[in-house]
This record gives sequence, structure tokens and C-alpha cells, in this order.
Amino acid sequence: MSSVFFYARKDAKKNWKMFVFVIMAIAISTANIIIINGFMDGLTDGFLEKTMDTSSGHINIYPNEQDKYIEGLGIKEKKLDGLDGVVAYSPRITAGGTLHYKEKFKTIKILALDPSKENEVTILLSKIDSGKTLAANDRDGILISYRLADDLKVKIGDEATIVFENGKIRVFKIRGILHTGLAMDTNTIIINFEDASEQLNLFNKASIILVKLQDGTLSGQYKNKISGELGIQKIKEWEQEIESVLSSFKTFRDISNFMNAIGLFTGAVSVGIVLYINILHRRRQIGILKAIGMKDSQVLFVYILQAVFLGIIGILIGDALGYAGTKYLEAHPFPDPTLGSLGPRFHLSLIYDASLVTMLIIILAAAIPALMASRTNIIKAIWGE
Amino acid sequence: MEIIKTSNLKKSYMLGNVEVKALNGVDTSIEQGEFVAIMGPSGCGKSTFLNLTGMLDTPTSGEIYLEGKDVTNMNSNMRAEYRLKYMGFVFQFFNLFNELTVMENVMFPMMLNKRSNYKERAKELLNLVGLGDRLNHLPSELSGGQQQRVTIARSLANDPKILLADEPTGNLDTASSIEIIELFRKLNQEQGQTIVMVTHSPEIGGMTDRIIHFRDGTIEH
Ligand SMILES: Nc1ncnc2c1ncn2[C@@H]1O[C@H](COP(=O)(O)OP(=O)(O)OP(=O)(O)O)[C@@H](O)[C@H]1O
Ligand SMILES: [Mg+2]
Repeated sequence: MSSVFFYARKDAKKNWKMFVFVIMAIAISTANIIIINGFMDGLTDGFLEKTMDTSSGHINIYPNEQDKYIEGLGIKEKKLDGLDGVVAYSPRITAGGTLHYKEKFKTIKILALDPSKENEVTILLSKIDSGKTLAANDRDGILISYRLADDLKVKIGDEATIVFENGKIRVFKIRGILHTGLAMDTNTIIINFEDASEQLNLFNKASIILVKLQDGTLSGQYKNKISGELGIQKIKEWEQEIESVLSSFKTFRDISNFMNAIGLFTGAVSVGIVLYINILHRRRQIGILKAIGMKDSQVLFVYILQAVFLGIIGILIGDALGYAGTKYLEAHPFPDPTLGSLGPRFHLSLIYDASLVTMLIIILAAAIPALMASRTNIIKAIWGE
Repeated sequence: MEIIKTSNLKKSYMLGNVEVKALNGVDTSIEQGEFVAIMGPSGCGKSTFLNLTGMLDTPTSGEIYLEGKDVTNMNSNMRAEYRLKYMGFVFQFFNLFNELTVMENVMFPMMLNKRSNYKERAKELLNLVGLGDRLNHLPSELSGGQQQRVTIARSLANDPKILLADEPTGNLDTASSIEIIELFRKLNQEQGQTIVMVTHSPEIGGMTDRIIHFRDGTIEH
């Protein structure tokens, strides 16, 4: 074994210039994986956080399968009031409609909520770009998402007309511009719960109830309790809501994995090619190695060892670069009009994962030339064929 | 004692569709402690014979016995083990490891064989071949004759039973050639080293115990 190490080291020393190039390729590939995955995590985490902060409780109650709305809201609210561990809840109504301003109009999603209840559960109403947020007793005001405001060219204080999905019409005043960084930025308006009930004739009904618990980790236990006591069929914990958000990132993940694969492939191919060239140059030396009694497996190991050595150095450099890059971009994220800012999020597992995958691929890439070397025909190699 | 014995040894190569019979039934017997020369015209199969007895290659048919043991069909690991422990090789072209020093070249087979006192032994061997003052030189810093002497030192590293040399002086001038042959004779006479050497030179052949003449892949009697 020590003789294998000995020869691998001497042979590598002779080739250090080519090896420096390979080490750089490995380092860049590793750093690339760390930073891209860091960005993906940053993006997903940011999205998850925003979703949790603005659109979900620890537990969300949905209408029964055959119903459009949760029925008997008043009784259900009373029962929730009576449950220890339930800190707050916020019923919401969602509906469709159109918003008209001057000669323009747009299809909208109407989100109706009771500000005093909503503020106990989410921070949605604080996500205001300009203007004021919706007050509890404000029966004429609405919040309008910033892209909708751009499209219709409405400003704070303007009056706009909502045509509800049932055909009812009412004029509201724009109080504030909503900016959440989520999909609701495209065409959502927020109005008071009472207004929506009135216009849509929905007394004692809601589309969803967000429930906040004292201890979010007990959501599973409370899910069963609430479902039983309130007679509810469809109820989701926040983990389930997260899963559906995550699944919407699958395409992004696929793309970033593809980019990583390309980087890895470049690194691996450069290792493979450099080892291959080295082995071609050293055919005769390999022939002698075998002639004096080195076993095939030992020859194989000489070159795997070199690859591992290149891999370790390249990966360590790549880890350092990736760490520095991720940390820097985390502190100085790119400004993004939709999301606010776009930056990676550092986590140690980024480094573990990138290092492990890169090392595996390098060993695989080295295996081909190393196997070739170990199978060198002694006679042909020594006689220079 | 009979150290090498071959029986009806054959080796043929396919060149396209044509079968080239490099060896066509060779029966030999070489005693322990013998210094034997193999001679014959170019292409008669001398190198092929040496490669087969050295277990660098496998015959098409026939058998090879080393110290009475049939080694013809050993697997590649066992052949490597045999080469490491029982064989020393010296070829016409200098076959040193260019990236290792003279000393390291001689040490290396002993490291591979897990011997412990390889440094002292390497120095001893390099003194024996007259290169005790060149331990830390690279092969490229030595003359052809000196390189060939390092190869001989390396081939002796694990005290091989058999030393195989294929035209060891083929690339050397007369003076260096004589040095090498003197060294072989010394090894043979003082240490009883068995040596099988291919040569084209009748003078050099004449300095050995016995000459085996090859012609067209067989032994001439
Ligand atoms: N790898 C090979 N492929 C095809 N033919 C080969 C191969 N090696 C040797 N031969 C042929 O086998 C025959 C014997 O070759 P060998 O090298 O043993 O001759 P030799 O006696 O050593 O010759 P020289 O004195 O020129 O070294 C030759 O005809 C040669 O062309
Ligand atoms: Mg020959």
C-alpha cells in the first residue's frame, strides 16, 4: 500500500502543472454547486417564509368536499374560542370579479378578511408598499396589489369599481398598495370581510379559516382535535401547505440540478481527460510497473488515488470559494422587483452535499482511465507499440 | 536443480488473418546457477521465449515449469507475485522510472514486496554495480551504461531466482557492454545467480556457460 502511495505521489509531482488546471476545474464546479443550491434554498426559503407569514395559519380549515364555503361560521368560531391552545383565527372569503377604473378593467381575485382577526394570525396587512393598510372598521377601502395598480394606473385615494362574481357592483376607495412577493401580487384586492359577505350574500360563511396555535409543532394533534370538535373534513397543517409550495419549485430545482450536472460533468471530464493523457504518456512506465510485479489492482489504485488527491484539494478550494460566495451574496443579495431581494441562504449541508457528490463523480470519472492503465499489456507497453 | 523447463512451448500472433508462429515448440531446460545465452537471427523468437519464461506473457500452448512447478496457467495476480519475488528483468531499452531517483528506483520493488530494510539494501546493490555515489540522481542524468547498471541493481532487489536480460547491451558502446557482462559474470560466479540473456554478440555469448541457438521459433541442435 505504501508503495502505491509512493508511486502515485511521485507520478503526480511530475504532472503538477496539468493537475493545477484540473484542481481549478473541480474547485469551480464545487463552488458552482454550492452557490446555485444556496440560491435555490434562499429562493424556496424566502417563498416559504412569505407564504407562511401572509397566507397560512398553523392549521387551515377548508370547506367540506361538496361545499364551496365553510358553513356555520359563527358556531365554529365559538368552538375555536373555547379551545385551549388556539391563540387566534382568521376567516377569509375568496371570490372572483373585475375591477374597473376609468375605461379600463381587469379580472381580479377578491380576498376578504377581518383586519382585526387577520392581524392576530398573519402579517399580510403589513405588506404595504404605499398608502395605509386596511382598517377594521373601514367599509369603503380596499388594498390593491401593486401590479394591478400599475396595470390600471390607479393611485392611492382613487375610486374604483368592483363587479363581484354574482354581478353586484360597488365603488371602493384605494387605501394602499399591496406587495407580498407572492403570486397574489398579480391581481388580488383585499376588502373587509363584512363587505364581501354583504355583496356576495354569504352570511355565516367563509372560504377558509386560518388558525394560529400557541405551539405550531402541535399542529398534528390540533388538526385531529379541531376536525373532531368542529365536524370538519378538510383541514391542513402548515407542513402540508409547505409541501405544496415546495412542489411548485420542482421545475426550478430540476433546472438548477441540470446546471449543477453540467458543472460537475465539466469537472469530471477534465479529471478523466488529464488522467487519460497522463496514462497515455506513461504507458511504458506502467508496463514496467507491471513487469516488476505490481498487481493490476495496485496500478488501478495509483490512479484512483491521484484522482482522490486532486478531488480533495479541488473540493476544499471549491468549498472555501462556495462558502465565501454564498456568504457574500447572502449579505449583499440582488435586488429583485418581485421578490424584494434575491440571495442565497447558507447552510452547512450545502458544502457536505456538493463535496460528496463531486468526489463521487470524480472517482467515477477516474475509474475509466485507471482501469485502462491497470489493463495495460506489458509486452506492448514495454516494446513501445 | 532444474530451475526453468519448457515443454513444447508455442506462441503465435495473428497479424490480420495471417498466423505468425513466433515460437513453434520449444523444449528447454536450464539449471539453477547457469549463465545461459540465447542467440539466433532476428525474429527467431528469442524475446518471445524470454517474455514467456518471465511470465510477462502467456503461451498459446505448451507448459512452463519453474523449479518444477507448472506456472503456465496462473492468473494475473499470481503472475505479478511471481515476477515480483522470483524474477529480475533487464531489457534492451532502459526501463527505469524517470520520475524516481536512482535510489528510489532500486528501492521500489522492495517496497512493493513489503521488505523492511530496503534503503540499506538499495545502497548495497548500487555499490555492487558501482553507482554508490549516484544515489540521488535522476535516470536522465546518467549515461546509458550507468542506467543499465541501475536496472540491474533494481532487478536484483528482491533476490530473484532468475535474472532475465533481453539484449542488455544492445544500446551500449563496447566499453559499457563489457562492464555489464563482467557484472553479470560476477553475479553468476560469486552469488550463483541464474541468468538467461539474449544477445546478438558472439563474444558476449562466448562469455556464458552455454548458448542456446534459436531458429524460426525452435531450438537448433
Ligand atoms: N506482438 C506481436 N504481434 C505480432 N507479431 C509479433 C509480435 N511480437 C513478435 N512478433 C513476431 O514474432 C516473431 C518473433 O519475435 P521476437 O521478438 O521474439 O524475435 P527476436 O528473436 O527477439 O528478434 P530480435 O532479435 O529482432 O529482437 C517475429 O516474427 C515477430 O515479428
Ligand atoms: Mg528480441
